[in-house]
Amino acid sequence: MTAVLARLTATEWRLLLRDPVSVGFALALPLALLVIFGLPAESREASRDPGGERPIDTVLPSMALVLSFGMLALFTLPYNLAAYRERGILRRLATTPVRPVLLLAAQLAVNLAVATLATLLVLAIGPLALDMALPADPLGLLLALALGAAALFGIGLLLAALVPRTRRIQAIGPLLFFPSLFLAGLWLPKEQMPAILARVGDLTPLSAFRETLQDAWVGDALDPLHLAVMVVWALGAAAVAARAFRWE
Amino acid sequence: MTVIDVRRLRKSYGDVRAVRDVSFAVERGEIFGILGRNGAGKTTTVECVAGLARRDGGAISVLGRDPQDGDPALRERVGVQLQSGALPDKLRVGEAIDLFASFYRAPADRVELLDLLGLADVRDRPFDALSGGQRQRLSIALALVGRPEVAILDELTTGLDPAARRATWELIGEIRARGVTIVLVTHFMEEAERLCDRVALIDGGRVVAVDTPAGLTARAAREQRIRFRPDRPVDPALLRALAPVSSVEALGGGELVLGGGDGLLFALVTTLAEMGVEPLELRLEQASLEDAFLALTADGPPASAAAEAGAPSRAEAVA
Repeated sequence: MTAVLARLTATEWRLLLRDPVSVGFALALPLALLVIFGLPAESREASRDPGGERPIDTVLPSMALVLSFGMLALFTLPYNLAAYRERGILRRLATTPVRPVLLLAAQLAVNLAVATLATLLVLAIGPLALDMALPADPLGLLLALALGAAALFGIGLLLAALVPRTRRIQAIGPLLFFPSLFLAGLWLPKEQMPAILARVGDLTPLSAFRETLQDAWVGDALDPLHLAVMVVWALGAAAVAARAFRWE
Repeated sequence: MTVIDVRRLRKSYGDVRAVRDVSFAVERGEIFGILGRNGAGKTTTVECVAGLARRDGGAISVLGRDPQDGDPALRERVGVQLQSGALPDKLRVGEAIDLFASFYRAPADRVELLDLLGLADVRDRPFDALSGGQRQRLSIALALVGRPEVAILDELTTGLDPAARRATWELIGEIRARGVTIVLVTHFMEEAERLCDRVALIDGGRVVAVDTPAGLTARAAREQRIRFRPDRPVDPALLRALAPVSSVEALGGGELVLGGGDGLLFALVTTLAEMGVEPLELRLEQASLEDAFLALTADGPPASAAAEAGAPSRAEAVA
């Protein structure tokens, strides 16, 4: 079974390299934004806020990772799984001794690998090219990445379970993603949002993920509320997805 | 020895009673056809047999097991080729075969399998660059790669051109020669007639008849028909007077169609010879499975392979 999973994952990886557009986008766009916003000198000026952190150590790396993880989890993964279902690939697998859930696991593994690659690229390009500080709390960062990935990919699986058609995922993905980016404070700093929106934002996985990343990067204590929000989303989404998932 | 036993199968999707009452038994080593028009319940039946759908009633035994139990050991022994089963666009033929082979404990020799299916030349070609016939053959290869004892093939040749269809038919014969029991779902009369040892005729979710293609044709027992154009006008009344002739019909262009029983051809030819008349473009038309289908099911005929392929629609012998 592990041998088959490894084989499926290797095959999925190969397919991804042959058709790299969607995944390339999830790597290239966040890194491009990181560089575009990171090159001007203002990104390295300490803010006047208490603590006086520089954007290149706070909002920019967390933004890049949130964008990358979000696109992979909320577009690529559910789209691919819906396409596999739509094209009868999951069904075909159901006629073999192998369970289709392995293909789902392989898709998850491949997308997580790309997310890991994005993280490594941010950690390399930032400090080398943009004078980004290395994360002050590496263990906290790992925890943030793990919980954020669990919450976002959990929601991706939930989407794949509830939205059976690729076309609808193309519509629903952005509908979910862009407001989430707003609530996560990527378009407007949270401090400038109406209080109620900022509170709602705190409960969304993308916002909790971004703030935990930022806290870990600058070495602030991680907010238990953010951690709890990610855990609840991860478990809740996975539980519903497991019940609702259809192979056909 | 019975390999597949289906008894009083029932299956509904919502209000649609796809399968009302289907029973049949498939013996080891035969090619068993499930024939019926679109929507007759064929695919639902084989989905239940393949363990892809849960039945509402009845019993199914495949190699002594219930496919509904989801036993991986049974899926080792049964290969399924699904209607419209696609693969990822960029997956190459050889990779697909290797991947699926890894799912089974004792897979087939992959080089030999690719050769058998005529895919050796395209083993490095991605799925989206394959022709319809190549995709269909790959699909069959994937159903066979686990060296199954039973292969279920659904709408095998739908969408193939006549040459690819004939090549696929030959292939099915070769697979059977290896001892694989084959369940063939089709709505093509010609396909069932050519390939199947026995056929279950399904109509409106019920089995109307289970018999050999010849047996089914005999049930329809249509009279023979001869169509020809005499080289000079012949009085139809003279022909109508012949003993085996039951009907004479004059078509445009001087063509005549005679219907009748045994001895029709001999009686006609000798009579024409006595009159010194030569029959031109003479064709003998015999009852076919399609006629049996019409006789045994209520409404119109199913799609015929011939109509889609642009070939003559009835088994014709040009004399």
